Amino acid sequence: MASHGIPRPATTAHRTEQQLQEEQLQIQEYRDLEDLIRTKIAERQYTLEVLQLTSKLLKKNPEYYTIWNDRRRLLIYGLFSESSDSSSSSKEPSSSSPTVTTSTSSEGVSSSAVSTAENLTTTLHDPPSRNRGKSGTILDLIKGELEFLFPIMIKFPKCYWLWNYRLWILQQANERLDPDIARDLWNRELILVGKMLVKDSRNFHGWGYRRMVVTQLESQELHGKSMVESEFEYTTKVIHGLNGLSNFSAWHRRSKLIPTLLDQRGADDATRQQFLEDEFDLIISAMYTDSYPYAQSAWFYYQFLMTTVTDYVGHATITPNWTQEDRVVFVTRQLAVLGDMLDGAEDCKWVYDALIEYTLALCQMEEREPLPDEKTDCQSWLMELRKLDHLRSGRWDDLEISLEKR
Amino acid sequence: MSLVSGPGRAASSALPDEIQLAIEPHVKYIQSLDSRRNELEYWLTEHLRLSGLYWGLTALHLLGRPDALSRDETIEFILSCQNENGGFGAAPGHDAHLLSTLSAVQVLATVDALDELDERGKGDKEGGGKLAVGKYIANLQNRETGTFAGDEWGEEDTRFLYASLNALSLLLLLHLVNVNKAVDYVVSCANFDGGYGVSPGAESHSGQIFACLAALNIAGRIDLVNVDKLGRWLSERQVDGGGLNGRPEKLEDVCYSWWVASSLTMIGKLHWIDGGKLTEFILKCQDTKQGGIADRPGDMVDVFHTHFGIAGLSLLGYPGLEEVDAVYCMPKKVIERVLGPNK
Ligand SMILES: [Zn+2]
Repeated sequence: MASHGIPRPATTAHRTEQQLQEEQLQIQEYRDLEDLIRTKIAERQYTLEVLQLTSKLLKKNPEYYTIWNDRRRLLIYGLFSESSDSSSSSKEPSSSSPTVTTSTSSEGVSSSAVSTAENLTTTLHDPPSRNRGKSGTILDLIKGELEFLFPIMIKFPKCYWLWNYRLWILQQANERLDPDIARDLWNRELILVGKMLVKDSRNFHGWGYRRMVVTQLESQELHGKSMVESEFEYTTKVIHGLNGLSNFSAWHRRSKLIPTLLDQRGADDATRQQFLEDEFDLIISAMYTDSYPYAQSAWFYYQFLMTTVTDYVGHATITPNWTQEDRVVFVTRQLAVLGDMLDGAEDCKWVYDALIEYTLALCQMEEREPLPDEKTDCQSWLMELRKLDHLRSGRWDDLEISLEKR
Repeated sequence: MSLVSGPGRAASSALPDEIQLAIEPHVKYIQSLDSRRNELEYWLTEHLRLSGLYWGLTALHLLGRPDALSRDETIEFILSCQNENGGFGAAPGHDAHLLSTLSAVQVLATVDALDELDERGKGDKEGGGKLAVGKYIANLQNRETGTFAGDEWGEEDTRFLYASLNALSLLLLLHLVNVNKAVDYVVSCANFDGGYGVSPGAESHSGQIFACLAALNIAGRIDLVNVDKLGRWLSERQVDGGGLNGRPEKLEDVCYSWWVASSLTMIGKLHWIDGGKLTEFILKCQDTKQGGIADRPGDMVDVFHTHFGIAGLSLLGYPGLEEVDAVYCMPKKVIERVLGPNK
């Protein structure tokens, strides 16, 4: 439907009669399975057997969101409430009749679901005084779900419904299990998402999921405390890893953590100033070591740091107590650093772009028009930008007009 | 009546010297999508059937071929996807979801059939028709934060916030939700680069930026955007090949032609990228023989990229195409008919 990166074959592959027939059989099998699930769900047969049928279908088609919803209904109106440790908190839908009975044919299914869950219990302790019913405990069911999802997520890391369902399952743990047990589950998620991000360090879902897992682990509900330090540490690790400099996701996360980090450290003015200097050192030395300053992710982070100095009202700031003079001195120094950077990187448009931006920002901070030589500098940098970057000439036109007006 | 792609059909990989929009093949490709029931892919993509219809139908309207699909069958199919709760599922028998509900409203608006909801939609006399759809959507707003969930299971995302405001405004039912709270929420998703993410704290992403800008636009609060910063970030999405990517240092992709270019349009900075180069990139992604547009040159085509490719071309003023509305991603004519010329 929305395919990405799948090559178009050069010629129409001629398919044999047998191949065509095979496809019809596959379609029939798929649709029969779908019909079977629909019928059973309509009859409110919320059993392990039906759960297993949905597993079979979802492995083929994890985008089928209605089936994920069926699975949720199966759990909350069926399996959770009849599990050995169910509490009265599980609700029946008002119109339902209690038709949930596990048929004998589901025995094989249920035992396999329990055994996969048991593989996990070797690393995670069950609550002591809970007995297993025929569907196992709620913890077994939840762990079974998480286990079931993992290989599908590896195969389809960009499928929204999978991440979404996974979060929902974990929230069920929050609602139905002891906080310490739920916390163990979320802790394992942090390890899992770390692994997913090693596989694809820019996965949008992965970074989003990581934020949510951390929020849970920090929550009072789960007896958590702030993880800002360890998360900041994590971004440092990613940035220093393979292609880290180009990892905008990591830089972004870092930018969001810093204000809280400093607050929590109770940092004084001197510490804050040192922190800002260190961040600039990090980004600038990275630009120098890592095949010249051409990675735009690094430049956006540079922009973030500069914004905390130049445009701090209503935005994140690192050094809130700096005077206007402190800020002006700092920006002037950065302009010198940028100027030096041009040496050997004359073909790097980002440097020119930054030089213009912060020269103008400086004027604005001092509430004055650009001096004649500042204006000349900006115009010559703009000429370089025009030469280096043809795609954005409309932007350079606008910039030229705004320079002329000053 | 339903449209979804199966795998694209093969084409010769060599491009003709002068690339033009292959209008007829695209029309045929879109028309053929519902007749592919002998392909497994057709059945595996049923969860996108209604959105597929919106993509295909909108592309046809932009191509100037609004009658290429039967209006009656279109309406029939849309109504068959409505659930008892007023929302629409992706296909008959599928659960209601905000994304397919938006597509349903958009398709009905496009074929000038929103009144059919009042005549034949779900719900009783007082609470039914358009109002039933509006109430379904309004119930998904998080009254505390102002954002929206995609369905009853609670996943929240700024895409859903946009989908809600879009559909409600077409139904003339925006008053059912707290628009100011929704605006506050969008503002809380803004990042230092001027962009927006799925939720507060999330990384800027072109798709989310489109959703947030369009939501602000519908709410009449585009003034809240940091136009210069965002314009710069968006213009840097264009890569050397002319295509646009969704985030820094990612691959270019036709669907971002829409999300980035429409966002630039909404803040008046479309001229900050090279429209000619982008047009060329989109045209190179066509299957000129069998019709359809892919994510990148030489890849498999699908109706999603076909739609966004054509919408992007329309935004860029490609000759002969109907004008597209940057906020609604529907023909401008339709938006003017539903909302009036000064929407
Ligand atoms: Zn795409």
